[in-house]
Amino acid sequence: MSIPSELAEVESKPAVRLELGDPAPRRSRRKLVAIAGGPNCGKSTLFNKLTGLRQKVANYPGVTVEKKAGFCALRSGSVLELLDLPGTYSLRPGSPDEVVVRDVLLGVQAHTPLPDLTLLVLDSTCLDRQLYLCMQLIEIGRPVLVALNMMDTARDEGLDIDAGLLSRALGAPVVPISARTGSGIAQLMEAMEREVPPPRPVTRGLPEPLRDAAERIARMLAPVGPLAALSRFHVAMALLLDEGEEDSLIDAAPIPARREVMTLRARLDAEIPEWRSHEPIGHYHAIEELVRKATLRVKPEAKLRERIDRVLTHRVLGPLIFVLLMAVVFQSVFMWATPIMNAIDAGVSALGRFIAPALPAGPIRSLVVDGAIAGVGAVVTFVPQIAILFLFISLMEDSGYLARGAFIMDRLMRGVGLSGRAFIPLLSSFACAIPGIMATRTIDNRRDRLTTILIAPFMSCSARLPVYALLIGAFIPNRTVGFLNLPGLVLFSLYVLGILAAVLVAWALKRTALRGSRPLYVMELPPYRLPSLRSVLLTVRDRAGLFVQKAGTVILAVSIVLWFLASYPKSPGRVLPLEKRLEAVEDGAAKAAARGWAAEAGAKKAEAAQIQNEIAGISLRDSFAGRAGRLIEPAIAPLGFDWKIGIALLSSFAAREVMVSTMATVYNLGDVDQTSVSLREKLRHAENPRGGKAYSPLMAVSLMVFFVLACQCMSTVAVVRRETNSWRWPIFMVVMMNGLAWIASLAVYQGGKLMGLG
Amino acid sequence: MTPPRDRADRRTRKLAELEPGSRGIVRRVSGEPGLLRRLMELGFVPGTPVTFVRRAPMGDPIELRLRGTHFSIRTSEADRIDVDPF
Repeated sequence: MSIPSELAEVESKPAVRLELGDPAPRRSRRKLVAIAGGPNCGKSTLFNKLTGLRQKVANYPGVTVEKKAGFCALRSGSVLELLDLPGTYSLRPGSPDEVVVRDVLLGVQAHTPLPDLTLLVLDSTCLDRQLYLCMQLIEIGRPVLVALNMMDTARDEGLDIDAGLLSRALGAPVVPISARTGSGIAQLMEAMEREVPPPRPVTRGLPEPLRDAAERIARMLAPVGPLAALSRFHVAMALLLDEGEEDSLIDAAPIPARREVMTLRARLDAEIPEWRSHEPIGHYHAIEELVRKATLRVKPEAKLRERIDRVLTHRVLGPLIFVLLMAVVFQSVFMWATPIMNAIDAGVSALGRFIAPALPAGPIRSLVVDGAIAGVGAVVTFVPQIAILFLFISLMEDSGYLARGAFIMDRLMRGVGLSGRAFIPLLSSFACAIPGIMATRTIDNRRDRLTTILIAPFMSCSARLPVYALLIGAFIPNRTVGFLNLPGLVLFSLYVLGILAAVLVAWALKRTALRGSRPLYVMELPPYRLPSLRSVLLTVRDRAGLFVQKAGTVILAVSIVLWFLASYPKSPGRVLPLEKRLEAVEDGAAKAAARGWAAEAGAKKAEAAQIQNEIAGISLRDSFAGRAGRLIEPAIAPLGFDWKIGIALLSSFAAREVMVSTMATVYNLGDVDQTSVSLREKLRHAENPRGGKAYSPLMAVSLMVFFVLACQCMSTVAVVRRETNSWRWPIFMVVMMNGLAWIASLAVYQGGKLMGLG
Repeated sequence: MTPPRDRADRRTRKLAELEPGSRGIVRRVSGEPGLLRRLMELGFVPGTPVTFVRRAPMGDPIELRLRGTHFSIRTSEADRIDVDPF
């Protein structure tokens, strides 16, 4: 399916078009309908219902806000373009999401044309507060169509809303629907096709000085959008009233207008101190009148909800149920995904073996099999974890439980300056930081979300386990300390170290790079609802698809680069003689087998394998990666690492567990895993050039500390790039984590040596 | 839900000082402009009835019911809202 370029992602820098004074050019003549509404109003369910699978997710330029666009085919044969705006309570923004909503609806969002119609989705079961956004939309004078969603639930709850009366009072068409069951959707589609006149702007009698101020600024702005005069007035109001730190509207205004805004704000502060509260108070008065007129019965206390909440947020039962549920989620991401991931691994290897004979032996085959196919495998292995985690998250989110979990955990997470919403992403990161980082999108505060993204990789993920297992197995004596087993204690300490580092970094970030005014941690506790399977599956598909598309390409590219670095340059001088010998030995094995000398055939085969391992070892040691390992040796020697570990550190950027197979290759052991006794023996007895022991238990501890703290995972970097929509944060993360790892390992190794442990 | 013990005590107090299960009317919201506006947009407008539903298991945040919607709000934030119990 092709998406018109104006809806497709634009990677250029953000630009709110204020000075251009020119609406974004419409390339298609299709009617553009923006879907607006509060969080939890069923907006996304409706969007999915209207567009089916014809949708595309991208980002608004320059911000991490997602742009969901799609098409809706009407019965008449015409097609509408739909834009699913982020959920918002108000047009006065408090977050980057809400900035986008305001900018789109005022027609000043770069690369997004002014919508022809705004479809406002309201949750009929709590019209009162939802009408706030409606009042603001009517105020800016753009055509609005109201979809009263969840009318079935409202009726069940004893609410009787008179849609006709509401429509007359608002001066906008109102269609009762249920996005979940699909009732009213046909009527809604008809209404969307009809021409909706702009509503009569409600005049709430703005205080004279505020109106004057807005008009003054409006005159200083170039014409904006088709409804020039009215739009300009509302852009001016936004400039005066919207003072969010993450709001760039003011930066887009002409400089004289900017100065005037500052002057006028100060003057208004002096003249009418409460000028900022005027709008909410006015809107709510109007809403109260409306609700009195249009709702015949007031909503009773929801009995079922109260009964469920009494259990799920109970002082003892609440946290207990939450912990049990988290255990299930964690176990699923950690364990259920494993067989699928192993199957994918096996499939990828099989694919490599299947394709290999079709290609000429040599560099091309190696590139395809060891570079490209292995790279695709690296991307695809993350999909099961992502899918399983998002299955749970969207089930919890759509049922209303996610907010309860955040309610329960908020007090605990506040210790690190975060909110309850950060808990699930961080917990998931113990399985893998990739789905964990992707799960941060449930955190609505931008600084909290960034902090969570940046500390998530400190949680010891499952890819570190093989490394820990190898080093603990090789160097930590299996004896008991008190009633504890020493290897177990070391493993536990590594997990604790990661958590401590996360707490420390979160604390530091909140006081430096991500400092800002205290956000409002008010969160809606939505009513409980039965999740729709379709919505849940669509979310899972979207998340997995986006990962493969956006992060996957980076991972694939880096895999190929890493393959190249580990395979080139070739060193024929040393490898050729070995290859000749290999040929001879293999020949001998075949001959022996043919004559039925099983013992000799076996011995020859073992010798051949040994030679192959030697070749692999030489190739790796002589490759660019091998040379780089030597190159960085002076930097890592103070941590107790030699150049062979240097190679392992560099190649583990593909994935941490690759460290194990790299060490095995470097020590001519071929491809073995962390349980290999011979690899452990090799490491224990490895010698340094001076003939002493190359590695000590102290070095092992230093190396494990390094693995806890360092950012050695290209997939994490790629996903952070995708989630923050810039290279700034992933680069910051790599520098910060690796710096921290270096310092900590240095302290461990040098401190240990001083204490005589080396 | 137990009614407030002392029905006569209707002095204005901070929202977080209400008993779980009791109700009040928003009298005043204070704080720096951005936060103030956000609270008012959520519906904490003078004259609005609000119910203190429960405390979270660890004592904070608290759950409120306002205009038919339930909110979780931290005690430090609820302290900006003055209510008259009723």
